[in-house]
Amino acid sequence: MKKRTVQTDNSEFQTPRSAFRILPWIIPLGFILLWFMVSETGMIPTYLMPHPAEIGKTSYNYILGNPGEAPYAGRFLDDAVASLMRVAMGFALAVILGLPLGIISGRISVVQRLMGTTINGLRAVPGISWLPLAMIWFGIGIKTTVFLVALAAFFPIYLNAAAGARQINPLLLQAGAMMGVKRLRGTFAILLPGAMPHIMTGLRLGLGISWAYLVLGELTGVPNGLGALIMDARMLGRIDIIVLGIIIIAVIGRVGDQLLKTSLRVCFKSARRMT
Amino acid sequence: MKPKLKAISRFQPEPRETILEIRNLRKVFNINNAFVTVLDEIDFSVKGGEMICIFGRSGCGKSTLLNILGGFIAPSSGAILLNGKGVSKPGPDRCVVFQEDTLFPWLTVKENIAFGLKGRTTEKKASEEEIERFLSLVGLSEFRDYLPREISGGMKQRVALARVLILKPKVLLMDEPFASLDAQTREEMQNLLLSLWEKLSHTVLFVTHDVNEAITLADRILVMGKDPGRIRDDISVDLLRPRKREASEFLLFSRELYARLRD
Repeated sequence: MKKRTVQTDNSEFQTPRSAFRILPWIIPLGFILLWFMVSETGMIPTYLMPHPAEIGKTSYNYILGNPGEAPYAGRFLDDAVASLMRVAMGFALAVILGLPLGIISGRISVVQRLMGTTINGLRAVPGISWLPLAMIWFGIGIKTTVFLVALAAFFPIYLNAAAGARQINPLLLQAGAMMGVKRLRGTFAILLPGAMPHIMTGLRLGLGISWAYLVLGELTGVPNGLGALIMDARMLGRIDIIVLGIIIIAVIGRVGDQLLKTSLRVCFKSARRMT
Repeated sequence: MKPKLKAISRFQPEPRETILEIRNLRKVFNINNAFVTVLDEIDFSVKGGEMICIFGRSGCGKSTLLNILGGFIAPSSGAILLNGKGVSKPGPDRCVVFQEDTLFPWLTVKENIAFGLKGRTTEKKASEEEIERFLSLVGLSEFRDYLPREISGGMKQRVALARVLILKPKVLLMDEPFASLDAQTREEMQNLLLSLWEKLSHTVLFVTHDVNEAITLADRILVMGKDPGRIRDDISVDLLRPRKREASEFLLFSRELYARLRD
């Protein structure tokens, strides 16, 4: 027996498919067009905002150029891989700590009471104030960056997991109990799926903020990485590289978010069916 | 969909054994430092295969009683014996169909029905056959791959029924399971429940505040009074099945029950 397709959304109010496809690109494309026009007329001097064509040239050079040919030529792969590794490590650390702790404190009020004040206090401290301390503890380099990323991503992951675990319908847990589900299976078969929409939100927010703190961590003088690139370019007055760095981070951030969403949906029924 | 019942359905000449005993149950709640006795002197026993309705007005503690039997809340005193053994925690020997929708929203109809079987040491093929059997028993074979949000309230309760019946509970506890359905669907569900009972002969404790529902379903009706909740009457319903609501005996019975509800 095959599943019939069920129209859960009110399709009659939806814009046609093709129009729906291009919707996300309207604002970026419009922005580029505006930028192009402003640059053509010379209203903004190029030392404030270079011409898009120049950015195009710079990005070609940065991404596909031969290293050593010109400053920044061909550095892209090296920078991107370095940054991605740092984000991945910091984010993974935040997930490993934040998810279980969040779930536990969402279900057990003693734990919630124990952790709540501390976590909310620490959460109020801006990342930049951790930077000097992190540099003293971990020195200049990858450890500082990973620490900052993990620290920043921890809070949204923890808080959302706790909220998800707390708001779960108690009748679902009762239903599990009367069907003979023990605690361990209940956690994985009822609690986690039930909290999945919140967990997913937390993970996405955490990954997003990871990029912000990556740049912060890489300001400390590491030789490679996208944050280092931007900082380096500022010293040399290469505004085209700064703009390019921003665009690359935006693109990677967007793609990363999509990848996270898609992989959760592939791995978990609850992510697929409830978000 | 409409199940046909045989004219004489449950005349069982052999004596049935008592499987559930409730002994002198009492429940006191502490509400703002005032002690409120919700249930008092609850004392009855249930025979295997019996269909019992616990009937009373809202607020008489009948849902509390069911929650205690289900193991979700502890009684203040008294004992519940299932086959002679005391019970205190929720377990698959006393399954519950709740009034609210408590299906797992991330599982399909079929996966919801299969949920309780997982983790049991049964052969995969055998349990697959069981799942198919129960899907068709509640008439949802075609809807197996639907999610709970995609089906109607009546269908959801059918899934809720199937997912516990498949576990072969010793007692099935039902807490006004059809109260939020429309009249027509409710009648359909009552007929379905009866036809399943016919086939599987499980023991049912059914909480309701609906006179007609109680008379349609029950072998025995326990009428509960209020403040504190006590069992005031224990009425055997000896009407032949299937019971027709238009029949004069039925009407007589319902008039009688209404009267008892009033005093």
